[in-house]
Amino acid sequence: MASFVLKRLALMIPTLLGVSIIVFLMLKIVPGDPVNSIVAPDASEAERAVVRTQLGLDKPIVAQYGIWLGRVVQGNLGDSVTRRLPVTELLLPALKNTVILTAASAAAAFVIALVIGVYSAYRPASRIAALFNGLSLASIGLPNFWVALILIGIFSVTLGWLPSSGMSTVGGGGGGDLIKHLILPTAATALSSVGVLTRMVRSTVAGILQQDHIFALQAKGVRRTTILAHVLRNGMPTILNVTGLQFGALLASSVLVETVFSWPGIGQVIYQAIGQRDFPVVQAGVLVIAVAFVLLNLLVDAIHAAMDPRVRHA
Amino acid sequence: MTIHATTARDAASLRPISREPSRVLLIWRAFSRRRSALIALAVLTVIVFSCVLAPWVAPYGPSEGEVTDRLMKIGSAGHLLGTDEQGRDILSRILYGGRLSLLSGVLPVLLSSLIGGALGVIAGYFGGWTNTVIMRSLDIVFSFPAILLAIGISAALGPGITNIIISATVVFIPPVARIAESAAKEVRKEEYIEAARSSGAGAGLIIRSHVFRNIFSKVFVFSTSQIGVCLMVASGLSFLGLGVSPPTPEWGFMLNNLKQLIFVNPMVTIVPGVFIFLTSLSLNLVSDALSDALEIKR
Repeated sequence: MASFVLKRLALMIPTLLGVSIIVFLMLKIVPGDPVNSIVAPDASEAERAVVRTQLGLDKPIVAQYGIWLGRVVQGNLGDSVTRRLPVTELLLPALKNTVILTAASAAAAFVIALVIGVYSAYRPASRIAALFNGLSLASIGLPNFWVALILIGIFSVTLGWLPSSGMSTVGGGGGGDLIKHLILPTAATALSSVGVLTRMVRSTVAGILQQDHIFALQAKGVRRTTILAHVLRNGMPTILNVTGLQFGALLASSVLVETVFSWPGIGQVIYQAIGQRDFPVVQAGVLVIAVAFVLLNLLVDAIHAAMDPRVRHA
Repeated sequence: MTIHATTARDAASLRPISREPSRVLLIWRAFSRRRSALIALAVLTVIVFSCVLAPWVAPYGPSEGEVTDRLMKIGSAGHLLGTDEQGRDILSRILYGGRLSLLSGVLPVLLSSLIGGALGVIAGYFGGWTNTVIMRSLDIVFSFPAILLAIGISAALGPGITNIIISATVVFIPPVARIAESAAKEVRKEEYIEAARSSGAGAGLIIRSHVFRNIFSKVFVFSTSQIGVCLMVASGLSFLGLGVSPPTPEWGFMLNNLKQLIFVNPMVTIVPGVFIFLTSLSLNLVSDALSDALEIKR
C-alpha cells in the first residue's frame, strides 16, 4: 500500500508541473505591459527598465517561470493589487469554506446517486426508474448558478425556510446554523453531478446483477440484503473512482454557486477579484483549486487501492 | 446482382430499379423515430430563428425602456416576460441576447473541432514523437477542471465575448483531439492506406482523401454533443462578469444582473436561465438521437 501511494505521488509531480505551467502562462497572456501598472505614467525609459529588472521581466520566459515556481513552492503566491495583502491571506480561509461546500456536495451527490442508482438497477422497468432517468438526463444540462437562483426563489424568498446568503447568521453561529446555510448551496452544487453519478451507479450495478456469482447466491436462497452487500462491495471501487473524478466538476461549480449565495469561499474571492481586475488573486485562486483537484484525485486513488487489491498490485 | 452494362447509358437506366433510400433519408428516419428528439429539434429551431430574427420578432429594442414600466411581473400586458429594473422588456432582451449566447455556444465548438481535429489527425497519423509532443501537451489541460481553466484564461485576457470564445475554444480542443487521434490511429492500420502509400501518395493527400473522411463522423457526433456544454460554460463565464458589458444583452449576464431582483421579482429573475436550460437540454437530446441515427450503416 505504501509503495502504491509513493508511486502515485511520483506520478503527481508531472501533473502538478503541467498545472503550474498553465497558470504561469495565464499571467503571460494578460494584455499590456505589467510595468505600466507600477510606474508613474510619465516615467522615463530608464525608470521603467529598473522596474522591469526588479520584476525579472528582462529574463527569458523559462527563467521567469523558474523564479515564479520557486516562489509558489515556498507558499508565496504574490500580492493582491487592490487589497495590498499577500494573496495567501485571502485564499487560505476561503479554501476551508470551499472545501466544506465541496465535501458536503460530494457526500450528498454520492448518497443520492447510490440510492436512486441501485433502485433503478433493481427495478429498471418501474415508473420511478424512468422518472429518475429522465431527471438525471435533464440535470446534465442545468446551469448550477441558475439552479441556485431558483432555490433561493423557492426556499428563501417564497417559503422563507432557509437563508439565502452567507455562511452564518450575524451574531449567531454553531453547527445547526452552518448546516442551515449549507443546504441550498450544497443542493445547487451537487445537482449536476447527481445526474452523471446516478447513471453510472445504475449501469454498474445492473452489470453486476447479471453476473453468475449473483445468480448463484440467488439460487442458494441467500437473503436479498446479503446479496445487495455483495453487489455493493463489487461495484464500490468503480463508483468511488467516478465520484472522485466528479470532485473537479464540483470544485469548479462551487466557484459559480458561491457567487450566488455569497458563500465566503475561493469562488467568491475569484469573482470579486474579476470585478476589480485583480489578476494575481484570480491566478492564485485558480492554482489553489487545480492543486486541490489533483490532491483529491490522489486521495480517491488511495482509497480505491485500499478497497481493491487488483489496483494495488497492478 | 450482376449487371452487364455495356454502355454508360445502360448503366444509368438501370439505376432506378434498385431503390435504395439515400443515407440522409435513413438517418432522418432513425432520428425522427424518437419523439423527444423531434420536440427538442422544434424547440431549438424556434429559439434559434427568433433570436436570429430578433430585430423583426422582438416587441421592443434591447435597450429601450421607461422607468415607469420597471419591475413588471410575468404576463403583464405588453411585457409577456416582465421587465427589469430599468423597465426594459425581458422577452426582447432575451431574443437579442440569444444571438451572442448562441454564438458563444457554437463558435468555440466549431473552432476547437477544426483545431483539435487537425492536431489529433496529425498526432494519430504520424505517431512517434509528433504524437507524444502533441498529446502530452494537451494532456496537461486535462488536469484542470474545464470551467476553471476557462475562467482563468478569460480573466487573464479581460472581459469580452471574444475572449470568452477564445477561452472556451482552448478548453474544448483536447477532448476533440483525443477522439480524432484514436480514430486516425485506427484508420492508419487499414490496408487501403497502405495501398495508397505504396502507390506513392504523400501524407497530405492520404490525410485529405482517406483519413479525414473516415474520422469526420466521429468528430462531428462528439462536437454536436459539446455545444450544449459549451453554451453552459460560456454563459457561466458571462455570469461571472467576464463577457459583455452593460447594456448589451446576453443570457448569462442578464442572470447576473437580475439576481439582485430575486427578492422583488423572483419569477422574472430566472427567465434567462430557462432559455439557457431549454437550449442546452434540446441540444443534448438532438445530439444524442443524431449520434444513434448516424450509427446506422447503409
